[in-house]
Formats: sequence, C-alpha cells, structure tokens
Amino acid sequence: MTTPISSIAPIAMPQMAPAAGAAGQPGEFQGVLSSAIDSIQSLQNTAADSVQKFLTGQNEELHTTVLATQKAELAFELGLQVRNKVVDAYQEIMKMQM
Amino acid sequence: MLDSVTGSLERYMDLLSARQKIVASNIANADTPGFKTKDLDFQSEFASALSGSQPQASEVTGLPVKNDGNNVSLDREARLLAENAMRFSAASNLMRSQLNTVKEAIQGGKSA
Amino acid sequence: MSSLFSALSVSASGMAAQRTRAALLVENIANSETTRTPGGGPYRRKDAIFSSDETGSAFSSELDAQLDGQSLTGVKVVGISVDNSAPEKQYLPGHPDADADGYVSMPKVNPAEDMVDLMGANRSYQANVAAMSAVKDMIQKSIDLLR
Repeated sequence: MTTPISSIAPIAMPQMAPAAGAAGQPGEFQGVLSSAIDSIQSLQNTAADSVQKFLTGQNEELHTTVLATQKAELAFELGLQVRNKVVDAYQEIMKMQM
Repeated sequence: MLDSVTGSLERYMDLLSARQKIVASNIANADTPGFKTKDLDFQSEFASALSGSQPQASEVTGLPVKNDGNNVSLDREARLLAENAMRFSAASNLMRSQLNTVKEAIQGGKSA
Repeated sequence: MSSLFSALSVSASGMAAQRTRAALLVENIANSETTRTPGGGPYRRKDAIFSSDETGSAFSSELDAQLDGQSLTGVKVVGISVDNSAPEKQYLPGHPDADADGYVSMPKVNPAEDMVDLMGANRSYQANVAAMSAVKDMIQKSIDLLR
C-alpha cells in the first residue's frame, strides 16, 4: 500500500543569508560578513598607503610596510576561505533540494 | 585579528629601528667637536600607549667628555649596534613565526 | 625620523669624513720633515674640520626632508685648517735650508701623534662600516618577512 505523495510534508528550506544583490533580510550573518569585508578593505587601504609612502620616500619604515601588506593578505585569505566554505555549504544544501 | 601580539612586536621593531638610526648618527659623529651622544629611553617609549608617535631622542648624561667637547664612546655605540641588530633579528623572526602560524590556521581549513 | 635607509647615508658620511681625515694625517706624516715647499717655507700641517650635518636618504622626498624636523645627523668635513702659525725652528747649521743663524724652519708635525690619530681615524672608519652593515642586515630582515 502506497502513501499518497501529497501528505508528505515539504522539506523546510533553511534560512540562508541572501546573496549579494538580494534585497530585504538583514540577517545577523550578513552583518558579520559586511563588517568582515569592511575590515579587509580597510587593511588593504592601509597597506596600499604604506606602500605608497615607502616608495615616495616618506617616513615609512620598510618593516611597517611589509607587515601592513602581510596583514592585509592574511585578512583577505581568511575572507576568501570563509567565502569558499559558505559557498560549499550552500551548494551542499542546494543539492539536497528535490 | 593579529594585532594583540604583533602590535607589540611591531612597536618593538619601530623603536629598535629608531634607536639604531641614532647609534649610526653617534658613530658618524664620533670625532665631531662638541657633539653629544644621543639615545632614546627605550622602555618608557615601548610602554607608552601612543604607538605611531615619533620616539624622542635626548642627550645621554654621564659620558666622559673629550677636549673638543665630544662625548661619543665608540665602545658604547658598538655594543648598542650589536644589541639592537640582534633584538631586531629576534623580533622579526618571532613576527614571521606568528604570521606563518596564522597563515597555516587559515589554509589548514581548506576543504579537500 | 626618516627611515632606516637614511642611516646608510649617515654611515657613508662618517666613512667619507674619516677617509678625508686619514688622508690629511698621512700627508702630515709624510711631510713631517719637509722644509721646502713650492709656496715657500716648511710644510704646514693640515687638519680636517668636522661638523655634524643633516642628511636624508637618496630616495627620500624633498617634502619629507623639510617637514620632518628630526632628520638624521651625519657628519661632513666643512673645511681643512692649515696651520699657518710661526714654524718651529731647529738649530741645524749645515742644513741647506738653514737661515743666516743656522736655524731651519721645521713643520709643526709630530709624526707619533699623527700616527696615533691615524689609528683613531681607522677605528672610527671601521665603526661606520660596522654600522652600515648592521643597518643593512636589519633592512634585509624586514624584506625576509615577506617570505
């Protein structure tokens, strides 16, 4: 005896943070994401400024410039890995949809 | 993210650079009449919460003065030269180790 | 202060000044017995006049050099002092340059003293070389942070 399909409850879709461009829900996750992006941007700006100051012979020590660029690189790399994880998880979940 | 330890290390390296510049200047002026040895108060500059401020150099007291008014002691400057260089080397190695650790932590999370 | 690279200029200025000082001392020593010069009279001793000198790196901007009141202090030979005071006279009657009373005007050079000074100049020169080398190593360590 078969169960009628219509009585199977639909699989609940998990709440995902909206992708860039999607309007509306300012979830907590998006807040974290955008502040992370801001701080990456800020570190990259600091690094770019530092390189510029070093090259134009202003008062910038080489180690300051090197460290600024390293920090920016690490922040970016971290952001990249997190983004990859999020995308992987999203795709994993999308595969589950019937 | 990194700033708690590397912030201190970076400030340390800033001050060592500043001090080494002063030592180089003292050595260059070892025979300049009337020249007084300069230095900076390392520990108090390091403890100072204002990072990014220029460290203040001041004249060193207690050094014997030669006939022409110069008080540079090459022995003292040579010792400081070596010490600053070694400390800078240590700090930069520690820094590199910190950066590598963080880098490993980030990349270690990469999914296979 | 300007960056660590400027310290290289400072040490270079020290090396140049000590070289000049050494050259003059060598000239004094070589001429410690010279009683006859083209200009007339015995050799006059020469000494380098050192003065401290604000210096920046070859790569530092003009703006930075002007804004930054704490540029680094190198050294410069600002002049050569020639000792034109009355020469010492020694009693050497048979000497070709002796005057009517048998006195010869001798250079005011004490070779032993200048030799000691020369060793001092050498020591200072070496100290500047060491400083330049130490600074160069520190800069290299900063570059190594990029690996």
